[in-house]
Amino acid sequence: MIKSIFDWLKQPLGLIAVGITVLTLFSIAAYGIYTTQQAPEQPIQFPHQTHVAFGIQCLYCHPGASKGPAAGLPSQAKCWACHNQIAKTETSALLAPLKEAVQSGTPIQWVPVAQVPDFVQFNHRAHIAAGKNCEDCHGDMSKVTIAQNPQVFNMGWCLNCHVESAGEDHEKLVKLSDCGTCHY
Amino acid sequence: MSEKFSRRDFLKLAGVGAATSAILTGCGPASRYVKREPYMQMPEYNYNGQSTYYATTCRECAAGCGLIVRTVQGRAIKTEGNAGNPLNLGKTCARGQATLHGLYNPDRVTDPQKRSSRGSGSTQVMDWDAAIQVVADALKNNKPEEIAFLMGMAPDHLFDLVSDLASATGMNAPLRFGALGMFEARATLSKAAENLFGEASLPFFDVGGAQVVFSFGANFLETWLSPVSYTRGFAGLREAKTKMRGKFVQFESRMSQTGGKADEWIPLRPGTEALVALAIGKLASEIRGGAMPRAFENVDPIDTASKSGIKLETLEHLAGMFAGSNGALAIPGGPALGQSNGLAVAEAVLALNAISDNFGKPGGVYLSPLAPNQSEYQRPASAQEMQEFVQKMADGKIKVLFVHGVNPLFELPTALGFGGASKSVSQIISFATFPDETAREADYVFPDHHGLESWGYQRVATGSAQPVLSGAQPVVSPYYNTRATVDVLITAAQLAGGSFASALPFKDEVEFLNGKVSALMGEVDGSISAPDLATFMAYFQQHGGYWKNSDERVAPKAGDALNREISAEEAEFAGEGEFFFVPFVSPTLAEAGANKPWLQELPDPTTTVMWNTWVEMNPETAHELGIENDDVVRIVSEAGELEVPVYLYPAIRPDTIAIPFGQGHTAYGRYAENRGVNPADLLGQHFNEAGDLAFAGMKVKVEKTGVKKPLSRLESIMGVYGIGLGEEH
Amino acid sequence: MVTLSDLKISEVKLGEEQTGKWGMVIDQDICTGCQACVAACAMENNITFVGEEDSGYGRSMHWIRIERFWEGEYPEVKMTANQPMLCQQCGHATCEPVCPAFATVHSQAEQLNLQVYNRCVGTRYCANNCPYQVRSFNWRDYQRPEPLPNQFNPDVTVRRMGVMEKCTFCIQRIHKAQDKAKSEGREVADGEFTTACAQACPANAITFGRVDDPESMVSQLAKRSHGVKHLEELGTLPNVTYFKGG
Repeated sequence: MIKSIFDWLKQPLGLIAVGITVLTLFSIAAYGIYTTQQAPEQPIQFPHQTHVAFGIQCLYCHPGASKGPAAGLPSQAKCWACHNQIAKTETSALLAPLKEAVQSGTPIQWVPVAQVPDFVQFNHRAHIAAGKNCEDCHGDMSKVTIAQNPQVFNMGWCLNCHVESAGEDHEKLVKLSDCGTCHY
Repeated sequence: MSEKFSRRDFLKLAGVGAATSAILTGCGPASRYVKREPYMQMPEYNYNGQSTYYATTCRECAAGCGLIVRTVQGRAIKTEGNAGNPLNLGKTCARGQATLHGLYNPDRVTDPQKRSSRGSGSTQVMDWDAAIQVVADALKNNKPEEIAFLMGMAPDHLFDLVSDLASATGMNAPLRFGALGMFEARATLSKAAENLFGEASLPFFDVGGAQVVFSFGANFLETWLSPVSYTRGFAGLREAKTKMRGKFVQFESRMSQTGGKADEWIPLRPGTEALVALAIGKLASEIRGGAMPRAFENVDPIDTASKSGIKLETLEHLAGMFAGSNGALAIPGGPALGQSNGLAVAEAVLALNAISDNFGKPGGVYLSPLAPNQSEYQRPASAQEMQEFVQKMADGKIKVLFVHGVNPLFELPTALGFGGASKSVSQIISFATFPDETAREADYVFPDHHGLESWGYQRVATGSAQPVLSGAQPVVSPYYNTRATVDVLITAAQLAGGSFASALPFKDEVEFLNGKVSALMGEVDGSISAPDLATFMAYFQQHGGYWKNSDERVAPKAGDALNREISAEEAEFAGEGEFFFVPFVSPTLAEAGANKPWLQELPDPTTTVMWNTWVEMNPETAHELGIENDDVVRIVSEAGELEVPVYLYPAIRPDTIAIPFGQGHTAYGRYAENRGVNPADLLGQHFNEAGDLAFAGMKVKVEKTGVKKPLSRLESIMGVYGIGLGEEH
Repeated sequence: MVTLSDLKISEVKLGEEQTGKWGMVIDQDICTGCQACVAACAMENNITFVGEEDSGYGRSMHWIRIERFWEGEYPEVKMTANQPMLCQQCGHATCEPVCPAFATVHSQAEQLNLQVYNRCVGTRYCANNCPYQVRSFNWRDYQRPEPLPNQFNPDVTVRRMGVMEKCTFCIQRIHKAQDKAKSEGREVADGEFTTACAQACPANAITFGRVDDPESMVSQLAKRSHGVKHLEELGTLPNVTYFKGG
């Protein structure tokens, strides 16, 4: 039976059908991959570059990065501490959701952009302590508005850097290439 | 589909299609993007992703162990023991670990509820103002003597509040009751202490310091009094660092988890515990020499041997062991006291300690120290006192019943008739956190916070050499629309006015607590001290309570412990039947653990059964009756009957059967409901002289039903597959 | 022709020098079988419960279980000393060489038997090959209804259907302690942290620590003469030492 299908597919009409199918599947796949690479819709179109331009350090808003596993998102009280002193906050359409959230006492629901799967146990602190800078993984935040994911966090990318930073130190290499360092 | 295109091919193609679409949608935004809510106002001591630890008190049983709870981003993740608390020194039992399955239980009472009719599942959600008004009206519109409070066993701040309210207004004094107290026979213990030492108190047995421990039914490694503390004591008994490894002998008709750890397990005939204790006393006194104490005078060891089923040589050997050690300790407890002569058993076993003269000495018997803000020992109600209370309800003398922290419909023997008597009570208001049987029979449920969401304190009744007041504070904010019962009562009392308002002149629960704890500020020798109340309370919460630094155990005045007559009668058994019936508290579930799924999945320590109730039967007996493992049998007592699968238990007397207490709920959430049976249905109304229920003083019949119900057990997978639950699916 | 003796397995000799890093000593004489360790382990490691039916099939997910056996017949019957059984973190583990996906691998850094969930394809060869029967398999996606997942430990992966799992010696606690020590510029001290089971145990029957440090509590205890290792004769080099009952 499978053979009769193949025979039919060898006809010109069949070849066209195959071509259309392949093309369709390819475009669906391409679109699927494209959507995963889009920055998600955020409650506030947060301009990172503006904040960086004012000289605010990453760790001011994400202090967890130097202390533990999660960098963390700032509480809206922290946003408001500065913003309620800025006249533009009252009028800006971009900042309306923040004002609304603070006044109504509802938390802002951010969509995390740089994330690893559940089976990876990532610790910011160790990476900062090893001399990595935020932009090494997260890109240059002075150039983007809302956070975009400059780097696909896959295992090969992680391991490359791990192996590189271990250098000639065998003990460090063992530790940094051990499955149990990240997966448990 | 052409006839040549087989179903199998179609499935193949369909499979490819499904996989493709799964891959594509799996990568799509919908499944990939999660939402994160940062704090609106982050506490300054908190960091994202960093754990915060709070000290509080475990509310799973009344022992009062200290906990340290790890929280992350406002969620409670893990409980550990509080290493500072002298009662548990950083350790917990399984129930303390599983308390988080209570906090995040899917079947909690989420809002204040009004029930359309008692026993029905249909409820109407109320707001808290209306709920408090209901409580205020109940207080105001009834005579004080028609209002009663029924509470759990824990001597906590709520008990103090209600006691204060009762003494100021003439309400009934609150009754504390729990099935654990009933199966521990606490009333018998304190009565025996009163008879022997002249002081009603909970004895404390220093197992850790002893050389030889004789336990008559006391299941002190399971749920008895303060299991974590006694387990530590047991480890001390076995520890061979500074002394010889201590010996442990257990006397009981069915091997408990505790008995399983004994060097010698003595399966005596139920009802002969007093006889055996006195006979060992007599033989040991003979070995020690000197005048025979009056207590042991009228017992005949040879007669005892034949009645109890213990060989005379064994009795002599045990007496030699007891007399030959200078650190021998005898402990009465559990089913040995829950018999018609339970008080005599307790006295006889306590009197044994006089032989080794260990009163108030290391490795001996003490009286538990009173907690820091306590003036006298407050015993929970005995079953007989509960029976009197139920009678009062039935007579219509109680118009309003408040229930908190106890589930009498499940925990009291059905024969006591709480269910029937409650119909004569015009209004029942439950403060239950979980929808238990009693809450289902209540007109209103005004849910209290879970223990980990609550303020409070709890007095430690026994288990620690130091007096301990365990402190409780919320480790997470309330998950549901619940409210602290103390707050509800304070607000309601203000609304009710009169003597109610003047009895509780507080702003809220915390102000009440501060008032109660502030008295400790002036005391010396405390674990914390501070010049002002705010700092003192901060320390109190930070360290998980307040305790004295010194050993304040009381040495019992045991002058004539041996110079009094102790009855050497056998116990009487109620009902007809060929089997002695031993109900015992499930070591993992206890009285209120059935709604926590991981406690259900913990294998019973002796049988390894999970998720169900079983009846233990000696394999020989079962063979004679033609009963096999997993056969469902009907157990008939004078009070009731129930059907339960058999577990062939090699360590039980052939004339005895045993059923664990803890399952058999008809309410209490999805994990507890309609699972197993409740042996309290079999218990009759028989009490010992101290007012405790003679729960082990019944005889029952066993009938075959021809039905099989396979039990889930852990042991079946070890080496042998094949015991399944019917067909594979 | 290759003979059995040519295979590498023969290189492992009985009584070979201990090569582990982390180890445990369990005193069965004071273990009361109270199940506190089992509950603590489940709470720490996000272990799912499977319900009555599946647990009847032996699919319950205990990473540590307490075994007890019967000796003799009534009335001379005796319960043997309770035996907490968990992954022995073998130095030469039988589970590792049979995994076709390299999901069951040996950690060179921590000398533990790892289970890498994202690699596991669910062949269950490792469980079949484990002489201690301490591996459990996720036969289904077991439901933990809301709000129970609030309790999940964020440091431990939540496993899904088709994945093998087992005791990790609380590797998340090891990492946390190492990370803390490193941030303070020191080594991890003995007894600074312990596994969830050892921390809960009311009898203090479980001791955990560095077996490669002769000064550690666990090494000192393991030296006692009555310590035994289970199924040592198989050449598995287990890292858990047991003290049998009195």
